[in-house]
Amino acid sequence: MRPDSSTRPEPRSPRTSTVRTAAEADRGRALALCVAAWLVPGSGHILQHRLGRGLVCLFVLPLMFALGLLFDGALFPLTPITQSPLTSAAALAERCIGAPWIATAVAGWGRGDVVSPTYEYGWVLMVVAGLLNTLVVLDAYDIALGRK
Amino acid sequence: MPSHFLFLLIFSVLVSTVFAVLQKDSVADQVRFALTMTAGFVAFAIAAGWLMRLFPL
Repeated sequence: MRPDSSTRPEPRSPRTSTVRTAAEADRGRALALCVAAWLVPGSGHILQHRLGRGLVCLFVLPLMFALGLLFDGALFPLTPITQSPLTSAAALAERCIGAPWIATAVAGWGRGDVVSPTYEYGWVLMVVAGLLNTLVVLDAYDIALGRK
Repeated sequence: MPSHFLFLLIFSVLVSTVFAVLQKDSVADQVRFALTMTAGFVAFAIAAGWLMRLFPL
């Protein structure tokens, strides 16, 4: 019995394979750029020759985090989300700044001073710096995929 | 100790700068956007402060 030709899968052309592999390579490159952009704020843009955006973010975001530390802000511990959801959210946000957070944690800074009048300003600056870096990473990803 | 208003200005300028470079392409548009956003932050904070004065708790 002759098999039904409509059920036979279409042979994959070499051009389709090439296009699919190129798309996968672009996505892999974009993800690598995201990791770099997370680790060093602004590097995702600098690596893609968007120097203006990259340099501004490279300067402003770590400055914001440093000011937060200077104002006695604290690094929040990563507690279980069921125990303290707001603390967990703040901890995740702070970690989004990348190398400044790593350096602060390794150096043992960021214990914070709860009784300091500038404590609230401090940790808010640190959390917002991390959240802004998340936007910067997403922007670098969009540029890498050619959307911008 | 620096004033609350100074902290508001510092926060507004830094956040507005980042949003401006992400949203706009030309330098003139970025500067205009950053200044507008900073002014918006300050104006909203002052308005919210006066509104909260109605609820002195």
